[in-house]
Amino acid sequence: MTDNNASYAALWPRGPRQAKVKPLAKRLDTLDGKTIAWIWDYVFRGNEVFEQLEASLRARYPGVKFLHWDLFGNTHGSDERNVVANLPQKLRELGADAVVSGMGC
Amino acid sequence: MLRASVAAEGAGIPSSTLVCESFMTLAKAASQGLGYPNTPVAPVRGHPGLQSKEVLQQNVRELTLAGVIDNLLQPPAQATVGGEPGARDIVCRGSFEEVNEYFLAHELSDGLPVVPPTVAKVEAFLRYTDRQPDEVLGVLLPDNRAATVWSVAVNGVMAGCRPEYMPVLVAAVEAMADHDYGVEHSGNTPGGDNLIVLNGPVIKTLGFNYTQGVMRDGFQANTTVGRFWRLYLRNVAGFLPHKNDKATFGNTWRVVVAENEDVVAKIGWTPHCADFGFAAGTNALAIGRYTGGNHISSVSGATPEDLLPYIADAVVRQYSWQLMFSVGQGYDTLRPLLLLSPIIAETIAGGGWSKRKFREQLFVQARMTACQFERILRDWTQKPTWNLKAEHEAGRIPGIFHESDDPERLVPLVWRPEDFQVVVTGDLGRNSVYVFAHNGVLGFPVAREIRLPKNWQALRDGGDHG
Repeated sequence: MTDNNASYAALWPRGPRQAKVKPLAKRLDTLDGKTIAWIWDYVFRGNEVFEQLEASLRARYPGVKFLHWDLFGNTHGSDERNVVANLPQKLRELGADAVVSGMGC
Repeated sequence: MLRASVAAEGAGIPSSTLVCESFMTLAKAASQGLGYPNTPVAPVRGHPGLQSKEVLQQNVRELTLAGVIDNLLQPPAQATVGGEPGARDIVCRGSFEEVNEYFLAHELSDGLPVVPPTVAKVEAFLRYTDRQPDEVLGVLLPDNRAATVWSVAVNGVMAGCRPEYMPVLVAAVEAMADHDYGVEHSGNTPGGDNLIVLNGPVIKTLGFNYTQGVMRDGFQANTTVGRFWRLYLRNVAGFLPHKNDKATFGNTWRVVVAENEDVVAKIGWTPHCADFGFAAGTNALAIGRYTGGNHISSVSGATPEDLLPYIADAVVRQYSWQLMFSVGQGYDTLRPLLLLSPIIAETIAGGGWSKRKFREQLFVQARMTACQFERILRDWTQKPTWNLKAEHEAGRIPGIFHESDDPERLVPLVWRPEDFQVVVTGDLGRNSVYVFAHNGVLGFPVAREIRLPKNWQALRDGGDHG
């Protein structure tokens, strides 16, 4: 049974957003002499992608340095929350200037 | 990997996130929920899983490299996020059809007609909880929205629930927000969907089906609460197909499965909720994500010893890549779920087996050879070597996975017998089993008590209208 003349005032069904927009970190002026950390979720051949990027970046920026992904742990597994929570401190301790994180596939 | 990038950005360290081309839309949507809508990403051509080493290297050099350099050196465009209506804002006035067109056009509907969520209908739901409407039950990724009691009522109305289902809906969202469950993974590529398993007197009070056709739509309580789950994932957590929901194939939401507690009590087993610490007779629900399952038909035999080989074999056959949740990506997070039809459970119990003994025997019999286990891990991860011996010696897995060096030795799927979840439900007269393939850390089982309002009985009797 329907009422064809009925009118409804429908409410917004979503919840309020909690994340405020935050500014990104300042970008670098060059990669030469800087230290890049590889951060990996241990899938989709990220290790091979990082290897190739490392070779190409080193050819273009001879002074660039790298931090291997196994220093940080798996960013997409049962230990994800701990790994991500500890990341800022670990990056600072290891002197990272930039991060490359993969693989979103 | 976006969450790792924004952790770095928050620490003042610039990032570049490597994202396959087909995941760019998802990355943009997810970045917004994380509070960094302009998180820079570098494209990865195609999918690395299908490329030779040479092609992968070439793609990285030709496309990804420039993106990484640009991400780390070039200031990104200014970030902006548009305004939204408030929780109590009326977003549409009109006929049933007009409201539904609005909800479809604004991606607020699952494609089926929704019940227009009016203030009067929402207030009717709120009478069935002692929680305050603005109380936040949790914050849900990827959209990072507050899961309020109010929004539970709104989406419950839309799904076609009855007001008296509200305590179940609140408990479901509390479970959804449990960190161990991992709601943020609900849009991942395997596309697994959640299953709610219900226990307690509310099964009968609210009219949940717990017998024949228990997973079939057509029973209002089971069906609409299941639909509510998906609507809430969509409207509050933010999982929209082609955006944050990247299921390769996906499937529809699952109707609620209620356990047959009469049979459980008759055979002296414990209900499913007891595995989560709740006493028998507690109103409670458990959730978990499963990619799929299989009906195991006509499980025959007069004793548990007769039945077990068929059931154990069916469990093993259900698991391939998901073994990574036992050893690998999600160590010790695999929790297979079995539904036993009542006469199967009665036959097992009739042989003197407790639920515990059934699980112990399943743990012993549901095994595969170590070389097969390792091969499956290699296939999934493309890691050239997978060695259970090395994993054990590194202290990452228990000794049961490496009791000898024989590659033909049998190893379990899970770490311990109680990792198997067992629920009694379904057709009273049929000898069948259903086995679900669990998604491990991407939907780990958690449970919540369903708390009824103090005036529950009066409301049920129709005598308390607040």
